[in-house]
Amino acid sequence: MRQALEPRPTPRLAGDGSARSAPAPGDPGRWELIRALGALCGAPPPDGWVICDALGLARWSRAEHTGVFVLDLPPHASIHLGPEGKLGGVGADRVAGMWRALDLQPPADADHLGALLGLYAELGRAGDACRRDLTRRRLEHARVALLAEHLASWVPGYLAAASTHPPAAGWARLTASALAREADRSGLPAALPAALRDAPAAIAAGDGLDELLDALPAPVRTGFVLTHTDLVAAGRQTGLGVRRGERRYTLRAMLEQDPAATFAWLSDHARRWACLHRDSPLAGPARDWWAQRATLSAAVLQTLAGEPR
Amino acid sequence: MPAPRSQHQPTPDLTALGERVSAARAATEARGETFYQGASKTFLAGFPPPQRWDDWVELDSRAWPERVEHHSMLVPTTCFNCESACGLLAYVDRSTLQVRKFEGNPAHPGSRGRNCAKGPSTINQVTDPDRILYPLRRAGERGEGKWERVSWDEALDALAARLRAAIVEGRQNEIMIHIGRPGEDGFTERVLASWGVDGHNSHTNVCSSGGRTGFQFWTGIDRPSPDHANAKVIYLISSHLETGHYFNPHAQRITEARAKGAKVIVLDTRLSNTATHADYWLSPQPGSEAAINLAVARHIITTGRVNWDFVHDWWNWQEYLEARRPDGPQDFAAFQAALGEEYDGYTFELAAAESGIDAAVLAEMAEVVAGAGTAFSCHSWRSAAASNLGGWQVSRTVFFLAALLGAVATPGGTFPNAYNKYVPRPIHTPPHPKVWQELSWPLEFPLAQNELSFLLPHFLKDGRGRLDTYFTRVYNPVWTNPDGLSWMEVLTDPEKVGCYVALTPTWNESAYFADWILPMGHASERHDTHSYEQYDGQWLGFRQPVLRAARERLGETVTDTREVNPGEVWEENELYIELSWRIDPDGRLGIRQYYESKERPGEKLTVDEYYGWMFDHSVPGLPEAAAAEGLSALQYMRRYGAFEITKGQGALYAEEVPPAELEDLHVTPTGRVYTSAPKPESDNIGPLGAPPPDDRGRRPVGVVVDGTVRRGFPTPSGRLELYSSTIAAWGWPEHALPGYIRSHVHPDELAPDQMVLLSTFRLPTQIHTRSANSKWLDELSHTNPVWIHPSDAGRLGVRRTGELVRVSTDIGYFVAKAWITEGIRPGVVACSHHMGRWKLTGHDQVSPGGMMATVELGHDAAGWSMHARERVGPYESADPDTRRIWWSDTGVHQNLTMPVHPDPISGMHCWHQAVRVSSARPGDSHGDVAVDTEKSREVYRQWMARTRPAGTYSPDSTRRPAWLMRPLKPAAETFSLPGGTGRRT
Repeated sequence: MRQALEPRPTPRLAGDGSARSAPAPGDPGRWELIRALGALCGAPPPDGWVICDALGLARWSRAEHTGVFVLDLPPHASIHLGPEGKLGGVGADRVAGMWRALDLQPPADADHLGALLGLYAELGRAGDACRRDLTRRRLEHARVALLAEHLASWVPGYLAAASTHPPAAGWARLTASALAREADRSGLPAALPAALRDAPAAIAAGDGLDELLDALPAPVRTGFVLTHTDLVAAGRQTGLGVRRGERRYTLRAMLEQDPAATFAWLSDHARRWACLHRDSPLAGPARDWWAQRATLSAAVLQTLAGEPR
Repeated sequence: MPAPRSQHQPTPDLTALGERVSAARAATEARGETFYQGASKTFLAGFPPPQRWDDWVELDSRAWPERVEHHSMLVPTTCFNCESACGLLAYVDRSTLQVRKFEGNPAHPGSRGRNCAKGPSTINQVTDPDRILYPLRRAGERGEGKWERVSWDEALDALAARLRAAIVEGRQNEIMIHIGRPGEDGFTERVLASWGVDGHNSHTNVCSSGGRTGFQFWTGIDRPSPDHANAKVIYLISSHLETGHYFNPHAQRITEARAKGAKVIVLDTRLSNTATHADYWLSPQPGSEAAINLAVARHIITTGRVNWDFVHDWWNWQEYLEARRPDGPQDFAAFQAALGEEYDGYTFELAAAESGIDAAVLAEMAEVVAGAGTAFSCHSWRSAAASNLGGWQVSRTVFFLAALLGAVATPGGTFPNAYNKYVPRPIHTPPHPKVWQELSWPLEFPLAQNELSFLLPHFLKDGRGRLDTYFTRVYNPVWTNPDGLSWMEVLTDPEKVGCYVALTPTWNESAYFADWILPMGHASERHDTHSYEQYDGQWLGFRQPVLRAARERLGETVTDTREVNPGEVWEENELYIELSWRIDPDGRLGIRQYYESKERPGEKLTVDEYYGWMFDHSVPGLPEAAAAEGLSALQYMRRYGAFEITKGQGALYAEEVPPAELEDLHVTPTGRVYTSAPKPESDNIGPLGAPPPDDRGRRPVGVVVDGTVRRGFPTPSGRLELYSSTIAAWGWPEHALPGYIRSHVHPDELAPDQMVLLSTFRLPTQIHTRSANSKWLDELSHTNPVWIHPSDAGRLGVRRTGELVRVSTDIGYFVAKAWITEGIRPGVVACSHHMGRWKLTGHDQVSPGGMMATVELGHDAAGWSMHARERVGPYESADPDTRRIWWSDTGVHQNLTMPVHPDPISGMHCWHQAVRVSSARPGDSHGDVAVDTEKSREVYRQWMARTRPAGTYSPDSTRRPAWLMRPLKPAAETFSLPGGTGRRT
């Protein structure tokens, strides 16, 4: 595999065939679809318009793309699976390890959804092109592992959040459908992905304010995604002032104004997310895990809403 | 949070969508546009897709904002500058049918679409207004600079008559073709063989013979093929990321390995660009590299990291014990102990004392090497191996490390180059010539790796022979070799060189003295095939006249490359076919048969048939790949320019020999197997060692390992040869093992006021005089200051960079500008050999361009002197860029001041010089050169006295071990010593 790498950062695996070997059997459109969906979240307009056109999606503007994929919902595994909900750290390292296990140099943003979907598509294409059974089986194994460990573990929740952003909604639903089809075709293992098996603790009613503020923007701690857009909506619904700043700052300001209302809103938010997870088209142990964590968070936040602070 | 919409939407038809995206991508890329754009995660379509190569559209950037389209045909060829042979794509304008530019060929397996600056600069060479376009004949005295244009017919008839006379009169040894970097595999050798002439002369003994020798004595094959991309540790005694064989294809793979965490170790006295990228840069005292290698070897042995299974199976340890320890036990345990004893003296302390590098640093580096296991790739080519007396032991000790680790033909290890090279069998194979050329292969150097080319002027002066017709082929011996003024002396003496023919695209320092100038093509104007070891695979590249291929795509028929080349520029293939027919017009000399068509007997062979036959019959997989695209094999190569034949060769030495080859076997006690079964025909005729048969004439077929006959190595023992019975038998028993030979510039050899001049390094953007007349390259690199350490500068009174210094060698001096830098060791100065081009006053046919000073050449009782009369500067011409030449300094031609230093074993010229450096004297001018060629004769004689000639030392009354490689091997009977003398016992 080493010798077959094309210029980075897109992985390109030629299996055991040369670049001009016989055309790949199988379903090349299957991998092209995944690759195209990944490319859309990484390519700011107008670069991705040709892909939007091919997929029948409305073209989005550069501002819309930035609003979703840079500001509100950066599509990185580390944000969704890391204990602080931030880029890098253990969440990124785990994904980078997958690239290295495949003997690929992880790109700078190896845990970006676009990179992961590109890698997934390339593994599929290389597997189809492969003439040796053993190599093909290994590539398929790697692809399914990527799906189970690094996509199914967080992407459905991410896509659920993205589907609430009108410019990205069509893309998010299409991506969710495509991944669900992949899960159906490939079969996901019964075991929970490692990132969820080793997930940090859920929030608890006894957590201090600072600890809560650290945990609430981290999806893996709460089971839900909490965006700036959500907080603006919370302010509108609760009548609280929304101070502009990073989410922790905004939340602190809301809690200082009216902790009961804020926690109550967060509890409702968690309940809605529990439903969202349960409705995810991508079945598997991860879906249940996320739904349970959101349900637990809803209960904790409800408790907190009833406590004087 | 707004209530999220249910994700249960109608499921789209994902299959249809996937097909739609695939189709959109194909359509986009077919238009030459990029489907997946963006800086990350998606890859740019870096190259025009092949399906668009017939009509590639680009917008004219200069016409912006107007949208003006350029339509081009993209035709592949191969760069003809350095030996890396990277793929190029010529952009042939469809409206003018002229080449607009060159870029990389993505279909080339070695270079993978990437080039250095020299590749795209080929356009400068093609459009060079000063290039030679027509055959010229000398009109005045040699060197006077007067020429007359002649027709090709006149030139060919005159030369054919001379050559025919020499052949008919038994003066075959008066014919010689001297090659620069060949850039092709074996065509010229076969031309000479067809003439029955042992007249192949190469530049290799001023280039890579030292490096080759070390590898040849280990493996029977004279080049390494490091699998850098998969290595854990990359060990370079070179500046391989920037120059050298095969730097661009290798550098990109080294870069990949580094990205995966590989460590790079560079031994280079000079802070090269490569050294700046190293994890370990060691700047040793020049000539001490083998001592460092041996200290690393000792570390591997003493710390138990030797791959003993590999050593047991594949080294000739039994032969070593028999020869060196005959009275002791002959088992492997005894060998293991003996190996430790042999190298026990090479401590880090000893290496530190020799190299000037701290022992602790050496130990740390050695530990990195020892930890590499079988993923250790190493390379030593020119550099130290080309610079020092005994330099060949540098490459031998480098490979020693790989052999200890078992990193031979492993992923990330070092392969013998023949595993990764493919030379297809041609349509005709002439027999070995029945003469021996002593001017190239003298008795004094029986083990020389290549021709003693740089001694030719001295041999001619000695009266060892004369040359009736001497060709240089894209080669510039006066400029390239050491002691160039001795070359000039013999080239201007018709008694020594009767007729000098320069095959060259451009004017050069040798061509000034020619009788005939025959214009040759650049990269896009000639046919050649070539295959080089650049990764663990085999590929074949095809250089072609791109305008010929372009016109053929348009349906035209071109039967002579001159029809499409500029002026009357030709190519060697067609030239030699035509010349050979004129030498032997009726076929009675037996020459013409090798240039006749097989399809049309009695008619002249065409290049289409020559290459078509080769591609159809000798390149596995190519006809099938071509057929899959509806093309003939030749059409395929004309379209793509290269073909990958195999990938992942692996350890070919361990392959089992098929039963069909095992017949009437003779197995020696050490497991060498000989067979009476004939050798199967191979379509790959790449060069290898040819170990001798047994005393009943049975050929060596393999070695017994674990009870199985395996292919082994093409050495006499069939194994990797730690102990060389060849070296021992031919008079050098003290060097039968990898060892350390103190250089002629070892500190003990230097007078107190002498320093070492390191003169072997290239500049990344030039390649000797081959890249001449590339204006872009000239602007990038046009001078060669003398690197000097601040401490030395202070000691010598050189106050600032740019001051002139005089560098005195044993035969003269040169004057250059100083560059004061900590990038060089104290006690060592360095000067690149790439610069210092010149033209003679009165040679008005040559434009100075951006690189050539106009010099006055004087000769008196004190010897030769060269002084710049005019330096380069802006001038008016058809090319507006000549008005923009902003520099005047074109460096100094230092090689003129270097006497010859032939290594007595490898035959390599040992380039390093012991010099005295001082501030320039009054009257000195930048670029001045003074040389006394009488002194160069004295130095020549001193070095010849180091040799151990075959006439005295041959163990079997032959001139040379027959198994050693030789570019053009004469018939077996020519190996016998004249008079049957031989070994003194």
